[in-house]
Amino acid sequence: MAEKIQFKRPSAWFFLGLIAFLINPIFVLIALIIFSQRKKILLNIASQTAKINGALAFLPVVRTEAKIPDQPAGGKLNRPLRLDRRKKYLQIALNSTLADAAAIIAVRPPSERIILEIGTPLLKIYGVQAVRQIRIQAPDAYLVADNKCADLAEREAEMLAAAGANATTVLGVAPIETIDRFIFACEKNRLDAMVDMMNVADPLAVLKRLKKAPAVVILHRGVDETEFSQEKTLPYYQIKQIKGNFKTLIAIAGGDTIKEVQQAIFNDADIAVIWKSVYKASDQTAALIRAFLREIK
Amino acid sequence: MLNPKDKYLQIAFNRSLPEVKTMIDLLPSSERIIIEAGTPLIKQYGQFGIAALKKWWIAKVGKSGYLVADLKCLDRGASEVEAARAAGANAATVLGLAPVETINAFIKECARAGLDAMVDMMNVRFPFEILGQLAVLPAVVILHLGADEREASRSKRLPHEQIHRLKGTYDRMLISVAGNETEREVRRAFFNDADIAVVWRSFYDTPDKTADLARAFLEQI
Repeated sequence: MAEKIQFKRPSAWFFLGLIAFLINPIFVLIALIIFSQRKKILLNIASQTAKINGALAFLPVVRTEAKIPDQPAGGKLNRPLRLDRRKKYLQIALNSTLADAAAIIAVRPPSERIILEIGTPLLKIYGVQAVRQIRIQAPDAYLVADNKCADLAEREAEMLAAAGANATTVLGVAPIETIDRFIFACEKNRLDAMVDMMNVADPLAVLKRLKKAPAVVILHRGVDETEFSQEKTLPYYQIKQIKGNFKTLIAIAGGDTIKEVQQAIFNDADIAVIWKSVYKASDQTAALIRAFLREIK
Repeated sequence: MLNPKDKYLQIAFNRSLPEVKTMIDLLPSSERIIIEAGTPLIKQYGQFGIAALKKWWIAKVGKSGYLVADLKCLDRGASEVEAARAAGANAATVLGLAPVETINAFIKECARAGLDAMVDMMNVRFPFEILGQLAVLPAVVILHLGADEREASRSKRLPHEQIHRLKGTYDRMLISVAGNETEREVRRAFFNDADIAVVWRSFYDTPDKTADLARAFLEQI
């Protein structure tokens, strides 16, 4: 990433400069030359960014609300939220547009048991700006960035932490080295690591190979799997298997009916993830979310 | 589209957009270079990042400029392909470890959208098992040693021996090798009849040496 050079102007500099000038004016001349070069580098990056935004504004097919974000925010946001092991949660996966996400967030019932997920499509279409915007709209919510990391674990975990997420996901099918690094990087960045076991035949085998268990394991039936292979069922039996061996929370994703959410919680899942009912905002959104919430006890 | 008779150097970009613009300006205008919007770049900037790279690359080499969106799709094959197409990508990647339903949907959607589908076989021990289940073969198969794997396990090697086996069975499919870091590894990939060698690390570490690095790697073709 480009170095961010910042020029601070404390008033003490004036007095230091005056003293340096009185000792020898050459010192001041050298200092002024160095200062002007540093300001030039800063302006160059800023003007490049402005040129890029201007030059690409005409592109009709790209969603123009996604301008180049500012340089990643320095420092981590203060995110004291972590999951409570004694509670059950409803995770609302936002997968459509940022506008739809904003509308759904606006009507969601106030509840500590609701988790907001920035779905993978949102991340790939809008980038981390999606996380930042949702964080601004829901400053107190627990945000999961469904990153589905497959490589470069440290880089991706840091990126999502800087954007304001509370948790992020890595693929169970990724190399074991990536998953290990991801879990450690999440811990370092005060994120909850979630391992998404989509298409993993034996999640227990993967977990046994890890140096450290993640905060959450997601048992997941994919959207394409659900659409094209309807005989595939959600792996509820794996919940107790994993909980019996590891101190980890279990999320079930891919079940979108009240019945499937009931079954997930009945089988001791801690988090039920829904997306279909909350794909687009409608008059029914708030009522639907309340109906699902009633099943999360 | 890619010419099966040619070899290509694919340069993946993962730095910030202003830096990537400078790096693309430094690249030689070669028909052998294809550029890639790396997965971290896409997750940082989204569609906008893909579109930016495509615009800069076309400005450099003309309309034939070829860009790969390294989506590493695992689910919702159709919607991710559409996003890449709208941003101007010429190819997109799906993970070989994705459910076969996703890979099939992805390849089908790529064909509809006019993109080359690339199946990334990172962490796949037996690519033939995956390919044998597909309804339609992809344009490119990527044999890939991940960056984290490589750093953590120095004994792991790029699976060059699989190139000939795959080509012997699927003669119309192109083979890409990703995870190369040195000129020697790129040379070895092409020596083993790979069609595309993907590099990124040295460009990421020393962006100011982009021009020299590109020329040095191109000499291995």
